[in-house]
Amino acid sequence: MAEPAAPPLAAIDELAAGEEVAIGAAGPAGIPGRARSERIQRVIAYTAMFALALVFFIPFLWSVSTSLKPLPETANFSLLPHTWTVAAYREAWTKYDFARYIMNSAIVSVAITFTSVFLAAIGGYAFARLRFPGRNVLFFVVLGTLMIPDQLRLVPIYRMLTIFPVTHWNLVDTYQGYWAIKMVSATALFLMRQYFLTIPRDLEEAAVLDGAGYFKTFWRVMLPLAGPALAAIAILEFQGTWNDFFWANLLLQSPTHWTMQVGLAQFFWSYGTLWNNLMAASVIALLPVVVIYLFFQRYFVAGVASAGVKG
Amino acid sequence: MAIAVPKRRLFGRTKRPGAAREALVGYAFVFVPMAVFLLFFIYPIGYAVYISRFDWGILGPLESLGWKNYSHLWHDTLFRRAIKNTVEYTVWVVPAQMALGLLLAVVVNQRIRFRTFFRGAFYFPSLASSAAITAIALYLLNINGLFNKIFGLHQAWFYETKTALPAITALNAWTTSGTMMLFYLAALQAIPTDVYEAAAIDGAGPWRTFWKITFPLLKPAHFFVAVVSIIGAMKVFDQNYIVSRGTGGPAYATYSVVLYIYNTAIKDSALGLAAAAGVVLFLIIFLFTIVQWALFGRQEAA
Repeated sequence: MAEPAAPPLAAIDELAAGEEVAIGAAGPAGIPGRARSERIQRVIAYTAMFALALVFFIPFLWSVSTSLKPLPETANFSLLPHTWTVAAYREAWTKYDFARYIMNSAIVSVAITFTSVFLAAIGGYAFARLRFPGRNVLFFVVLGTLMIPDQLRLVPIYRMLTIFPVTHWNLVDTYQGYWAIKMVSATALFLMRQYFLTIPRDLEEAAVLDGAGYFKTFWRVMLPLAGPALAAIAILEFQGTWNDFFWANLLLQSPTHWTMQVGLAQFFWSYGTLWNNLMAASVIALLPVVVIYLFFQRYFVAGVASAGVKG
Repeated sequence: MAIAVPKRRLFGRTKRPGAAREALVGYAFVFVPMAVFLLFFIYPIGYAVYISRFDWGILGPLESLGWKNYSHLWHDTLFRRAIKNTVEYTVWVVPAQMALGLLLAVVVNQRIRFRTFFRGAFYFPSLASSAAITAIALYLLNINGLFNKIFGLHQAWFYETKTALPAITALNAWTTSGTMMLFYLAALQAIPTDVYEAAAIDGAGPWRTFWKITFPLLKPAHFFVAVVSIIGAMKVFDQNYIVSRGTGGPAYATYSVVLYIYNTAIKDSALGLAAAAGVVLFLIIFLFTIVQWALFGRQEAA
């Protein structure tokens, strides 16, 4: 069966842990005359690397700095604000309704993350452990969905949510519709199955012998053992939903339903040059994902890298 | 030891005790995910093809057209423009992403201090949402922005026909390079160290070692990253949409295929034509996905 190409998780894990991995030989030591030129080389290399890192950081530093300036000051180019103020945040939060967009984003992101993690875990467990006729065919279907680009789904899904088959619900511009199309993720299910396959069978066999049912075994024994995988896919799903623009923009149309990302685009279209407010809103939009990255880097990197299968 | 192990059979008559119950539980556990996959992923493919064969307005199908929507696309100058823009974007962004990703991966793969810091710094733009990063880029590249100030230029990068698409290309090359870095890093770490030791004994310098040894050994990674980034590039939408407020402007310079699908479906309510464009895009992406799986599926999973 053609399985999607996930990068070797072990390598990424090691990487995420920040361990020193010896790559390249440590040049022959103790040759006189080398030390000085090597030191110079090293200084040049570090300077170049810090410069590169600075280039990557400058846009963010500049937007944070701008978000702390009063509007007239955004016209000049001082690196730090002359007058420090959080007025831009306060205005974004209250006057321009970003408090509401943050709430909306939080609600849909948390709901979708919970659902998709639960469904990925229970489905992944079944595909990894339980034997039922047609299992391989169904799993192949799951993997097949990875090949379907969202852009092909745009028209049929929009149509389906406008007039839902059979029931004729109109789910466009509702959280239910948005939640429904995002509530499962093939990547997450695939990763959970792979993880469950690595857990030794002894533990659950003991549970089964103790008379625990399948759900209880899954819930009490397997799920606690799958902590790292659950964390990785939870972060992956949260980031994916929080950052989503494509579906949120298509489906959540009325201003009361806008998520952070949609609100940000709409704010730019309406008040394009209120740079300090726009940057404050952008910083707010970035913050949750950045905080998660800083605290859970290890799981984060593993999840994102294995999600590359999505393309 | 010759202990007769009963062969596991799913459909056989020799049933393990509780096999029926296990199968039933299995179906129950996969029911909800499978139902959603079938309803919102598999069914829409067929439905998209079905819709694409109609003149389909806001209220539903108006007239059966056969494959006329497809021939209409072929002659539609706007669709051709969208294809041209998307291909042009892809041709530039893919090598840029790959080169930048490889450079960053090589840098953070060295035995250096502050590895975690550098990795974080280079990965940072990949964390950001497309909306936030586009807002920041719009600010940096506006006519009175920091970029023009630093380089002494006076250019409205996102609003002039010649520079709008290149500006989006540069933006996306920058924001995706961190993800490409991760793929390359995984591949770099898989290269055994003795190869480098041998090169060092032969007196090869770092430059030569990279081009003669590391670069060729990364061949599978090059293919993998290329396919992933081509597929991603074909779907470019968010930045174009936000920058141009959905118009694909200035003068259609940023009109991408997905923007065409979106506008045709949502603004013009021509669902049939939009679905046809979606099917065409799917076929192109499908081709690349098949190539990716055929080349890397087995070997990476092993």
